[in-house]
Amino acid sequence: MLGRMTRSPAAHEYLLAFADDEHLIGARHTNWIGLGPFLEEDLAFCSIAQDELGHAIGLYGLLLDDPAELDSFAMAREPADYRSCWLAEIECPDWSDSLVRHWLYDRAEALRWDVLAACPDERVSALAARAQREESFHRAHAEQLMSRIAATDTTGRIVASVTRLVPLAAGLWDPTVSEPSAISEGFVRVSSRELADVWKNLIRSDLDRWGLDIAWPSPTTWADQQSAQGNRTRRSETFGQFQSDLLRVVVLDPTAVW
Amino acid sequence: MRVFEVFLKKPGRDEFRHAGSLEAPDPEMAVLLARETHARRGEGAQMWLIDREHVLVADEAELAVNSDKPHRHNDGSRVAARRKGRRDECSDA
Repeated sequence: MLGRMTRSPAAHEYLLAFADDEHLIGARHTNWIGLGPFLEEDLAFCSIAQDELGHAIGLYGLLLDDPAELDSFAMAREPADYRSCWLAEIECPDWSDSLVRHWLYDRAEALRWDVLAACPDERVSALAARAQREESFHRAHAEQLMSRIAATDTTGRIVASVTRLVPLAAGLWDPTVSEPSAISEGFVRVSSRELADVWKNLIRSDLDRWGLDIAWPSPTTWADQQSAQGNRTRRSETFGQFQSDLLRVVVLDPTAVW
Repeated sequence: MRVFEVFLKKPGRDEFRHAGSLEAPDPEMAVLLARETHARRGEGAQMWLIDREHVLVADEAELAVNSDKPHRHNDGSRVAARRKGRRDECSDA
């Protein structure tokens, strides 16, 4: 009786955007299983991937009446029906890109859970409280690893990754079309634009602390990136390949029972 | 990278036990990674990490068995032989 029926289309889309981000970044992180730069980091990074997939399951669960629909809903929608951002979608075959993305994304993710922790919908705020505990480890992991690598990176790979990925993160803060309604309905109290400002300050203070000098993208670059991602309605170039990779096993036998 | 030895203790009266080791750049990251490497499934309620550099290691000479002191190596065979002898005596009688 509670659940979907009481949630507005705007709230639904707001949660869907977060769920899709969590799902896709979790799936991308799992590419490092068995390939991490050293064993301990392999385990830690893949554990983070599992946490993100767990958050995605929790969020999708809030959107679906029937839990049995979860797999097909998560993986087999039309690309236009996803609300993910490109930062979560893209492939990062280089470890440096993956690490930088993890840091950029988890800095943002924590802010997003903070907003949902204050949500009047108790199922949402309870999930946020659970996720916040896991996120404190994710942030510590990203912060500690980045601070150590940034201090010793003479190859410039970290700087190159940050320079490449920060503009892409504009799409992470590109709100869904219906976000203003989610705010006016009281589902959330803080806009993506306001969160983006908090996030930028956090990211820039991290960079300062690590002594990394990065040219921040201009407002124009930022706006262009957001319009390219079209309020989370457009998929990145390689999304089709990514989705077919996710579905590769399922399509072998769609009726199989696991 | 440095090597750290990880010890875990379950709740209750069990002692700390060696859980394994791990590589990390420094102590702070060692604690962070130890959780994921050895304790993410609740294997312990307390954890110790020790930098392997700080472990005192005995050498071979210090561990060598005292072969000239057979009285320290009672494996029970002499007692067993005597008891067998007594049993045999009783059954003969």
